[in-house]
Amino acid sequence: MVITFPPMGNVSLAARAFFEAVQIPYVSPQKANKQMLQAGAALSPDEICLPFKVFMGSFADSIKAGADTVLLTGSCGPCRFGEYCELQPKLLKKNGFNAEMLVIDAPKAIGRKELCRRIRSILETSPVSGASKFKAFRQALHILSLADGLNEKAREAAGYEKNRGESKRLLEACFKQLDSVRLPDDMQAILLRYHEKIDFIRKDINKKPIRIALIGEIYSMIEPFANLFIEDLLMEYGIVSKRLITPSWWIKDLAEKPFGVHSAQIMKAAKPHLPYNAGGHAKESLGFAQLCKNDGFDGAIQIYPLGCMPEIVAKAVLPSVQKEHGFPVLTLIIDEMTGEAGYLTRIEAFIDMLAEKRKREARTA
Amino acid sequence: MTQGLFLGVDVGSVSTNIVLADSDGNVIEKLYLRTNGRPIKAIINGMTAIKSVLGENARIIGTGTTGSGRRLADAIIGADVVKNEITAHAAAACHVVPNVRTIIEIGGQDSKLILMNGGVVCDFSMNTVCAAGTGSFLDRQASRLEIPIEELGGYALRSKSPVRIAGRCAVFAESDMISKQQAGHSNEDIIAGLCDALVRNYMATLAKGKELCPPILFQGGVAANVGIRTAFEKALNKKIVIPQHYDVMGAYGAALLARDEITVSCRPTAFNGFEALKREFSSESLSCDGCANMCEVVRITADGKCIAHWGDRCGKWGAAVQERETGKKEALRQ
Repeated sequence: MVITFPPMGNVSLAARAFFEAVQIPYVSPQKANKQMLQAGAALSPDEICLPFKVFMGSFADSIKAGADTVLLTGSCGPCRFGEYCELQPKLLKKNGFNAEMLVIDAPKAIGRKELCRRIRSILETSPVSGASKFKAFRQALHILSLADGLNEKAREAAGYEKNRGESKRLLEACFKQLDSVRLPDDMQAILLRYHEKIDFIRKDINKKPIRIALIGEIYSMIEPFANLFIEDLLMEYGIVSKRLITPSWWIKDLAEKPFGVHSAQIMKAAKPHLPYNAGGHAKESLGFAQLCKNDGFDGAIQIYPLGCMPEIVAKAVLPSVQKEHGFPVLTLIIDEMTGEAGYLTRIEAFIDMLAEKRKREARTA
Repeated sequence: MTQGLFLGVDVGSVSTNIVLADSDGNVIEKLYLRTNGRPIKAIINGMTAIKSVLGENARIIGTGTTGSGRRLADAIIGADVVKNEITAHAAAACHVVPNVRTIIEIGGQDSKLILMNGGVVCDFSMNTVCAAGTGSFLDRQASRLEIPIEELGGYALRSKSPVRIAGRCAVFAESDMISKQQAGHSNEDIIAGLCDALVRNYMATLAKGKELCPPILFQGGVAANVGIRTAFEKALNKKIVIPQHYDVMGAYGAALLARDEITVSCRPTAFNGFEALKREFSSESLSCDGCANMCEVVRITADGKCIAHWGDRCGKWGAAVQERETGKKEALRQ
């Protein structure tokens, strides 16, 4: 069995670390890119959302490179992500890509027994002991949280750095190094080293950078390619950006969900505006926007792939958040036809607007 | 005494506009040129025309560029301010009508709605997916009906009973217009229907859920069309003001932003001068294969020497030019 998985930002890193440690052969997906998207779009229905197309492109590449099992997390939630695991195996087969698809779905959807069977079917191909597998899993989670943490620190530091661009350069250097190593221990060491480097960036704490919250669909949040690298762009402008949705947050949220205590504050903030579950992370988008507003953020940017149903619901509700709290929100919708120039114009104008708004508030104060 | 002037350049899809403004923000000279798909040529032609009208005592002490070709214009003329169209249009509108609340801007390929409060942009939207509400669509329809674009508005006003045109999509709007023509409706009624459809499209895609308070300014090339203006007034039931320099407001805004920048920073301008425009400019695109991002990098050359790169995420192409630029500036300083 040779496993592959979709490119999903830092998740791919953790998956790589895990399969390396348990010595299961795998094909690491390439970083999501335009060619992959184009190839995937050719294999996909035209009206499906962007992640579907990126995944298809990646799976096709990986199968060509020798993978025979595609690993995907499932979701029977009320959004089209639930269709992925049904449509994709059929489309792959139809186009001559022979691979089995293993869907790790919630026990509620497929039953605990089936879930265990699926996980076992992967793990039993590993030659290492059960204890080592457990250790590998924990280490993969640790690497994930280190990578997410580094991201968060760097995005924050970008607003205060004395040498313009230093935190962005560090972040890039770190991920470049991570690509070149295979062993989980090496990954961990690199991440720890860069955590230290980011901590020691020379900062000007008197700076009052513009702060922007990033909200929206989960894939657009965790895979930089799916948001046209907006975080890097904001870093270049010396803007602090923060997002709620990271892979580590998602895992924590998933673990808390059965107990009904997940993201309690966010759900509470979202409730007056959207009392129902609209699927995806619509409620999280709304709730997080409001919490960030209370936290002194200047504005929010909502990002989602064209046709994403939950975020369309959130977008319809956002104007009321905007009006009620005076919190500017810019919505960016992304698909494979997207022209980048239009995005830049909007983001630049949004930043100008936030800066001017601040100046005016300072004048009236 | 020499007079210091500020230059604003707006390189758009359809037109390239240049404005010269004095330090009080008055327009001294304005130019509206068709880009015709050759932005570099349009910029150089425009700048040559500006040079010929520039008085002996006048000197350019600040430059600003805007529009979709703002970076290109920056590379060619050397700009102090490179700003997006929304900020530039807002700056100009605010200068003309300081208490402006709503700006409707319809250009060649995009339309914008900017809401202002107390001289500051508080919300904006731009059309995303469709060109049915823009100037180039009107342009195309005018040429199809063999009516000069300048007279299109007059036709709409003469209409007695406008027909209803499907305005959601440019292609379908055109088919609808053709079928209305075949059904025997007059050009006047069809054009009036087209104006209504365009305004309906604008209101549905950009203004939905937003409050458009007066004073409302209407700018951009399409503001010349009285038919559209009347349709807007009808739809909004409010008076619409068309500023004197409606067609070059982007360039005007860029000039004003350059003025503000220079006044605050007291820096000498980054303007390359008119001599530098005599170089042979060209642009080419290359696909960088340095990593999986595969950025489409644009290279601008002058007399065979590379003067600017953009489009790369990692900044490695841009940095190469920058280094040389800083070297040049250092040399100048010494």
